[in-house]
Amino acid sequence: MPLRYKHFEKIEKHAGLLGVLIAIMVSLGGLAEITPLFIKAHTVEAAPGFKPYDALRLAGKDIYVREGCYLCHSQMIRSLRFETQRYGKHSVASESVYDRPFQWGSKRTGPDLARVGGKYSDAWQRLHLVSPRSVVPESNMPNYPWLENAQIDGEDIRARMRVLQMLGDPYSDEEIHAAAAAVVGKTELDAIVAYLQGLGAANVSASKNVAEQDHE
Amino acid sequence: MSGFWSGWVKLLVVINLGITFFLFIMALRIKIPTQADGTTGHVWAHGVLREGVRKLPLWWALLSAAMFIAGFIYLTLYPGFGGFKGVLGWTSAEELQRDVQANNAKIEAVLQRHRGESLEKWAGNTAAVEIGHRLYLDNCAACHGGEALGNPVLGAPNLIDDDWLYGGDLQSILTSILDGRNGVMPAWGTALGRKGVNEVAAYVVSLSGVNAPADWVAAGKTRYETMCTACHGIEGRGNSQLGAPNLTDRSWLHGDDFARVTETIRDGRTGVMPSWRERLSEDEVRTIAAWLVAQRVPAGGRIHQNGHAKPTS
Repeated sequence: MPLRYKHFEKIEKHAGLLGVLIAIMVSLGGLAEITPLFIKAHTVEAAPGFKPYDALRLAGKDIYVREGCYLCHSQMIRSLRFETQRYGKHSVASESVYDRPFQWGSKRTGPDLARVGGKYSDAWQRLHLVSPRSVVPESNMPNYPWLENAQIDGEDIRARMRVLQMLGDPYSDEEIHAAAAAVVGKTELDAIVAYLQGLGAANVSASKNVAEQDHE
Repeated sequence: MSGFWSGWVKLLVVINLGITFFLFIMALRIKIPTQADGTTGHVWAHGVLREGVRKLPLWWALLSAAMFIAGFIYLTLYPGFGGFKGVLGWTSAEELQRDVQANNAKIEAVLQRHRGESLEKWAGNTAAVEIGHRLYLDNCAACHGGEALGNPVLGAPNLIDDDWLYGGDLQSILTSILDGRNGVMPAWGTALGRKGVNEVAAYVVSLSGVNAPADWVAAGKTRYETMCTACHGIEGRGNSQLGAPNLTDRSWLHGDDFARVTETIRDGRTGVMPSWRERLSEDEVRTIAAWLVAQRVPAGGRIHQNGHAKPTS
């Protein structure tokens, strides 16, 4: 027995060894929970009807990230009855393949936006982004007045699309070429409204209150 | 889950539980050599801190054992041990389906009572109205306001003043909500010029009894009759087939001040009511309509005083 205790003593007295062994124990959970999904993530294919963002929506997505919308809005409808009833079918991984990084979020101060596309009119979205309280008096969302006056840079969007193409998003060279022309004269407000109006729109239908088995 | 990853997870679970088990047994059985003073002899801070030897508290040992056993029970009942689905066969998708069905059954019990009956009957069913209220707040309040008083900044109509752009019967309301509406007022600024716009605006506000310069009203009337009657009618009473508003009442979709009226005539307006067919069932829409009917305030009440919605706060 005293010999055995010696091993513990060694661990106890050497902080480095203790640290390494703790790291191994702690990482077991992560290796089991995260690694398989991490590898699997690369094999997830886009949901039917989901295409890479067109130029204007891509610009809008980047503005969404820049303004930190994800800090208050999730884009992840959980498979819980009260969420699917309110927002539509629960989110699945194949809907996020073109989001880099994905915008699931976790802080739900505002409503979930995963399927907000088409829920309100463009006019409402514009008014609401510039001045949320003009349409929802009790809202605590900040005003984003600068979006209205900032222009989208077509060359910039083209460069972003080229990078995404390199990463494997199926953009054609023609689409990338046409991108600059597609955003001429568009403001950041136009872009983010286009982005929001496209969120989940392709998958809203036939989704109400339907719980579908995920494919393994 | 593929065979490899299933095995991977199983291996890690076994290693984890195995190490835990080993530590658990060791900690109970191990004898720590003690010094004469009852400590292990380990000292820190030049002898100020010394390590004592105590038995593991019983509550700690029991709690630890219970958690260890709970791990086995969980992995037997529920999915978690690699590809093993658990003896209960539980899945989150099935749980959701059960919850949705249970909830739908509860709603159905409320709705079946008045299916096929008039809106007024529905409005008398407090449970249905309560469902409609919740649905209204989540889906409609963003544009039409929490109290359904509308929003003149957006051009969202007041829904409880008994003035309906597209008709207030159940079928028209169902169509408006399920299929949406696109209201278009063309821009007349170029055709009318600045003077013409003011004259038509003067005539339009005079229709609802507001004082306006008589010469503007007279000139505006002539212009109105050539340009506006196709939609708003000779008398200005509107057309619910087109969603053209009645101009003779005191309810104004985009606000009642002269500047807003001239703006409407000069630049036109587009009003979009989205389609809700994908999001709401017909029954759900009926409950919303029922809530609206239950909210309706008679003409001359709070809502009609100023002709359009005013925020209550």
